Amino acid sequence: MSFRLGIDVGGTFTDLLLFNESNGEIFLTKTLSTPLDQSVGVLDGIRKIVRQAGISADSINLILHGTTVATNAVLEGKGAKVGLITNAGFEQILHVARSQTPGPLAGWIIMVKPEPMAPLELTRGISARMDARGRELAPLDEEEAATAIRELAVQGIEALTISFLNAYANPAHERRVATLANELFPYLPVTISTDILPEFREYERTLTTVMNSYVRPKMRVYLNGIQRKLEIEGIPSQFNIVRSDGGVMSLQAAQESPVKTLLSGPSGGAVAAAYIGTLAGYPNVLSFDMGGTSTDVAVSYDGRPNIVRETRVGYYPVKAASVDVSTVGAGGGSIAHVPLTGALRVGPQSAGADPGPAAYGRGGTLPTVTDANVVLGYLPPKLLGGEMELDVEAAAIAVQTIAEALGVGLYEAAQGIIDIVNENMFGALRLVTVQKGYDPRQFALVPFGGAGPLHACALAELAGAWPVIVPPMPGVLSAFGFLHSDIKNEFSQSLIRTLDRLDRSEVISALQHLTEQARVWLAEERIPAEQQEVLHQVDMRYYRQGFEFAVDISPDAFTSETGLAAIIEQFKTIHEQHYGFNLDSPIEIVNVRAIALGKVRQVELTSHEPAGTDASAARLKDEHYIMYRGAPLETAIYDRDQLKPGHVIPGPAIVTQRDSTVLILPGYQGTVDSYLNILIRPVSVGTH
Amino acid sequence: MNLDKITLDIIENALRNTRNEMDAVLFRSAMSPVIREQHDGFPMICDPQGHMVVGQFGSYISGFIKSWQRGINEGDVFLTSDPYKCGGAISHINDWMVLIPIFYQGELVAWASQFGHTLDIGGPVAGSLPTDATTIFGEGTRIPPIKLYDGGKLNQDALDIILNNSRTPVMNYFDLMAIIAACRTADKRIRELCDRFGKATMLTAFTALLERTHRAMSHLIEQHLPETPVSFEDFVDDDGRGNGPYKMKLTLWREGDKAFFDWAGTDPQAPGPINFFLNEEMFKMFIGVYLIMVFDPQILFNDGFYPLIEVRIPAGSLLQPKFPAALGCRTHALARLFDVLGGALGRQAPELSTAAGYGTSPYLLYNGEDRDGEFFHLMEITYGGIPGRPIGDGMDAHSWWPMFENIPTEYLETYYPLTIESYGSRIDTGGAGLHRGGNGVEKVYRFEVDGSISIHDDRERSQPWGILGGLPGACSEKILIRKDGTQERLPSKISNIPVLAGDKLVYRTAGGGGWKDPLERAPAEVRQDVLRQLVSRERARTDYGVVLDEETLEIDEVQTTTLRAELRAQRGPVEIFTFGPTPALMGVCAV
Repeated sequence: MSFRLGIDVGGTFTDLLLFNESNGEIFLTKTLSTPLDQSVGVLDGIRKIVRQAGISADSINLILHGTTVATNAVLEGKGAKVGLITNAGFEQILHVARSQTPGPLAGWIIMVKPEPMAPLELTRGISARMDARGRELAPLDEEEAATAIRELAVQGIEALTISFLNAYANPAHERRVATLANELFPYLPVTISTDILPEFREYERTLTTVMNSYVRPKMRVYLNGIQRKLEIEGIPSQFNIVRSDGGVMSLQAAQESPVKTLLSGPSGGAVAAAYIGTLAGYPNVLSFDMGGTSTDVAVSYDGRPNIVRETRVGYYPVKAASVDVSTVGAGGGSIAHVPLTGALRVGPQSAGADPGPAAYGRGGTLPTVTDANVVLGYLPPKLLGGEMELDVEAAAIAVQTIAEALGVGLYEAAQGIIDIVNENMFGALRLVTVQKGYDPRQFALVPFGGAGPLHACALAELAGAWPVIVPPMPGVLSAFGFLHSDIKNEFSQSLIRTLDRLDRSEVISALQHLTEQARVWLAEERIPAEQQEVLHQVDMRYYRQGFEFAVDISPDAFTSETGLAAIIEQFKTIHEQHYGFNLDSPIEIVNVRAIALGKVRQVELTSHEPAGTDASAARLKDEHYIMYRGAPLETAIYDRDQLKPGHVIPGPAIVTQRDSTVLILPGYQGTVDSYLNILIRPVSVGTH
Repeated sequence: MNLDKITLDIIENALRNTRNEMDAVLFRSAMSPVIREQHDGFPMICDPQGHMVVGQFGSYISGFIKSWQRGINEGDVFLTSDPYKCGGAISHINDWMVLIPIFYQGELVAWASQFGHTLDIGGPVAGSLPTDATTIFGEGTRIPPIKLYDGGKLNQDALDIILNNSRTPVMNYFDLMAIIAACRTADKRIRELCDRFGKATMLTAFTALLERTHRAMSHLIEQHLPETPVSFEDFVDDDGRGNGPYKMKLTLWREGDKAFFDWAGTDPQAPGPINFFLNEEMFKMFIGVYLIMVFDPQILFNDGFYPLIEVRIPAGSLLQPKFPAALGCRTHALARLFDVLGGALGRQAPELSTAAGYGTSPYLLYNGEDRDGEFFHLMEITYGGIPGRPIGDGMDAHSWWPMFENIPTEYLETYYPLTIESYGSRIDTGGAGLHRGGNGVEKVYRFEVDGSISIHDDRERSQPWGILGGLPGACSEKILIRKDGTQERLPSKISNIPVLAGDKLVYRTAGGGGWKDPLERAPAEVRQDVLRQLVSRERARTDYGVVLDEETLEIDEVQTTTLRAELRAQRGPVEIFTFGPTPALMGVCAV
């Protein structure tokens, strides 16, 4: 027997999912995360799940690991001491950033700008300059470079970044300085911008590279540690790290480019949601991961999560391929308040995990979204399998403060908090769909995370996104997504050329070169030839337009005029889809890219036989009421573990399971499908 | 009809989301870097009467509705660029403003509008912002309010005439379509909201949102504005034709919950193009934003409080020039207006106020024929020192205008015959303070082909003031270094200076003023600024009284204590404002 193991390290819990490749059986467990050294929690979890499944650890042949080591280092500002070498005259590149202050008008008055990850006093500019076509304008002053490296080393930097203007067009200076640094200080980790991101726009490239340096030492210590521990435990399996774009890479690759893991966890959720949706017959899904302090939403179209080339982590724009996840600063812990204008606001302040919502009974007194859910009965006081009993009275006292400030009743205030937060979530779903030319009504909604299934029915009502598909394991969905991840890496190059003056042979040779790099990498990763795949993309836009679209192409697209014409048509289709118009204007290419894939065997969820529609056997005895639009409604509570395929759950109903709660509102009903997903739809629409 | 509070809050959030979507559509599909990379564009949604319910610059639609006589129908798209035909709603002719009436079941329910700065609309100087224009006829093509689409049908002839007058027709067309697409996004969303909440509820909600802001502002006015009039004045350097400085003076007071803002004492209009046709409604919005920002930053700014404020602007003054005065370079007075407003409000509550900043929107324009013989035209907005603030230091070389971004050097060098030799913030230009003013920008351009340049800047002679003991920021300056090494200092406003390949321009913008007493700033923070080369060792000593060792830059505690005591004694009590010298009269102010 062989097993595949997905591990997702979150803020509070580490989720593990073990998949038996021979019979499709799945085991899941959670252990407490160990923030000081995440590998402790990971190893605890592995021991626990191995015991649970009754297998020996050496039968796990593949581990897919999502890690927040890099993300936390960035968000908490606890990365390495990074030195930066750039061109003389551009030392303040990170300090000046993009010069942006936030809206609205006068937003600068309250802006808090974080310190650059390579501080100005650890940045050195040296003489060296390329032009935009990669021709040398000023030679590299090697002595100056060596002096700068020595000075920075004396200051105690733990990692060095080298980023020069126009290096994407010619990386010679960057490479030379890296060689000098390696000669002078062989143990100092050095990253050059064109290795991480050989694409144009110097601030984003430099920042992304510095961020890589910033998180690299931590990642290295962590990954080395975990590798050693696995060896000691006698687990010989291949160990892969999940990337922000939902692919995975080897331990070695992750040590070199940890910046590609910043959205490791959220990408797993989006991949899994796409898979679950496809399985249930809905390949277009919006995934909705609502946690304590924030909520992630993403779009998957045709079974694939949308991939973007730039994302944000806190204040910072990061240029790395990522699943297009938008984060809303609102979750179960978001605090409601009433400012001077008398409006009801929810967030952005959060009660976090500590003290948390008033209902948690850990000393929190401020009214949160969770408290509003408790007041309305959407969250029953006793959660099945949960260690926690909720303090209904404390929640009511907290929400009452809002009721008084608004001059309305307790339940109205609670409903208001929920409605506002749902509206904001809906706004985020809008941004990820409509902005790209999609209509949310063409999508199913896949909620997960602790609070996702609680808000999903109401959110789907706003967005018209039916059905809601609640996966069988909403609390560990990211780990489930990891099990589906292909080995992946990208190789790209900026090549800014208008099509009407294009030297096609230049593009062909760039694509060949990138393909070669991809093949070499796949071989280094020891991917068998039959599982290798190399895909190609070219980023295109109208001349001087600000944003480019990635267009999938065949490798020989540039060898003929007809191939070129086909690419142009593809681009125009995408442009029309997103913006609603096209132009009679020159088109240019910006970047060419090869994507290396090592395909893994898909995980199949087991299909179960239907068991009739009557779900009453799964119903718990507790008598329970929810407040719905001002009136108490008796509401059945079901045990998720007892639900069988074919069961129909009429709303209002609550389904509890170990780490999540599903709410089905009046007028809707849930149906359990053969994969144990609950599909919620309006009653009037029927079951299928 | 009755509308419960929470539905109102939900609608408010939905409107906010719609506005964000308008921005997203514009920025992603516009073509000119000014809109796309620098985000110069402003979305708005109004009620049927033209009151702004979402947006940031205040509504001008009510004025438009009053003057438009040729019917308003579904599918219409209005376009204008004439400040004199919309009461100054847009204040120079580069700004193209689009208005779309939104209909639901045949009834007008809302308006969407968006304007953006187009790159060139004709006239004698590429970029259409000649610094020496004396009338608006010398600035380019004015579009009076027209129906660009009449009931959904494009008026191709009008569009052709407009684009025919631009040096950058393709870009302008693209930008115009992006602006229209943004408005159509709002159109779609508002109709969806009518489906969802009902038309009557939406219309009631618009009114209720306006009333809510009215109530909050009434409270703020009573709490924060004085019953005794207070005044503040500051200067725009010159008008680009050798005249100036131009004083802008604002006096404010309240009577009950009604506030008065009076620009009496402001200098007469300028012969040059720096006149700022100040739309009264827009000015009310600026006041509202300043007052309310601190108390409910999540609010949607709207027009609801307009009846509470009375604005008086003398006719024929810099802020209400008479047709056909030139308006192209109104940015300086627009930005200075905020310094003056901030200063006047600051007399009441200086602790809550900021200092003055770089106080304009500095531009560089460069055009010519590139090596392939193609015409090119670059307009770049730069930034400067953000004022010292209650929350902390002013940012160095950042944008005072919301959401604007700089243009990447790699973008400039890819698309224009330019090399950027250096780009960063300029040491010692931020005013010293407990919270330091931000440093101004220093950017050095090398021109790679022959062409001509134009410069727009201000604060070259009037320093951005500091507050509560903070020192003023440094002035701006521009130096042209010819290929042979000769240098000339250029004025802050000048058009069509020929440059040759190999010439360089050193472009320096002003710093921000400091906030509170620099002698109170922690010596370790002063030292860090010195290590970062944002403040010199010399200025650490003279401005902050912090003595640093010449070699190690370690703090000499003893000397620092002594020096700070001396400086305190010399300087005497701290004033509310610290100004630089008043700029000397350089020419006549009157027409």
